[in-house]
Amino acid sequence: MAFEAALETVGDEARITLRGELDASSAPQFKELVEKAATGGPQRLVLFVKELGFMASAGLRVLIFARQKMGSGVVIYVVGAQGPVRSTLEMSGFHRSVVLQDEYTPT
Amino acid sequence: MAEPSRITVPATLESLGRLRAFAREAAECAGVDARRAYGLQLALDEIATNVVSYGYRPSRTDAVLGLRAEVSGGSLVVTLEDWGQPFDPRTRKLPGEEELSRPLEEREPGGLGILLAIQGVDRFDYRRVGDRNETVFEVRIGEGR
Repeated sequence: MAFEAALETVGDEARITLRGELDASSAPQFKELVEKAATGGPQRLVLFVKELGFMASAGLRVLIFARQKMGSGVVIYVVGAQGPVRSTLEMSGFHRSVVLQDEYTPT
Repeated sequence: MAEPSRITVPATLESLGRLRAFAREAAECAGVDARRAYGLQLALDEIATNVVSYGYRPSRTDAVLGLRAEVSGGSLVVTLEDWGQPFDPRTRKLPGEEELSRPLEEREPGGLGILLAIQGVDRFDYRRVGDRNETVFEVRIGEGR
């Protein structure tokens, strides 16, 4: 399935919806949106990934980039991660640095 | 799948989707459960990404990747072939528990892909055959979680 990424800014939140398969060929698209989102100085980065069927480490590297670009004060939410994508986040220890949620609930 | 099936694709990141589709179909035909089928695709994707990114000299325009699948014993064995520089992923230093526990702002991104690759399958192997690298991914068939 092709990859799609869309950015929306709502108040001080940057929301990015990811669909399809996120691999090393599609990660630059995601990274570009994170860079764009960072310029607005958001307080929260919310990633909606319910329809993301595949995520390679290239996707994890964009999350590291997001954290390093936006700073530790910005809360990163990953919302709706399905089984295998969630396992990858957990196996890599990323669940300790981002907020994993089934439905988006700002904390 | 009595005969091994195979494909050859250009060694580019745009080929990753085709490689995963091949592995997904082979897993489906062989009756591999969904969790292992995903792990197989992830493992293959990570190693193929490495080969495309670092294995071939950028000046080479004829670089290809070969992929073959066969059922052997109670397992599906998928072998990725490339003709780039010798590289045994098993020799790469992997992030340990301490690195994986660090906050993202202190993370080194290296090694995560190979960690996911090795953990994604039941058996991960590598061999150099002449001028070719062969990375072997094996998943068991017909077992639940």
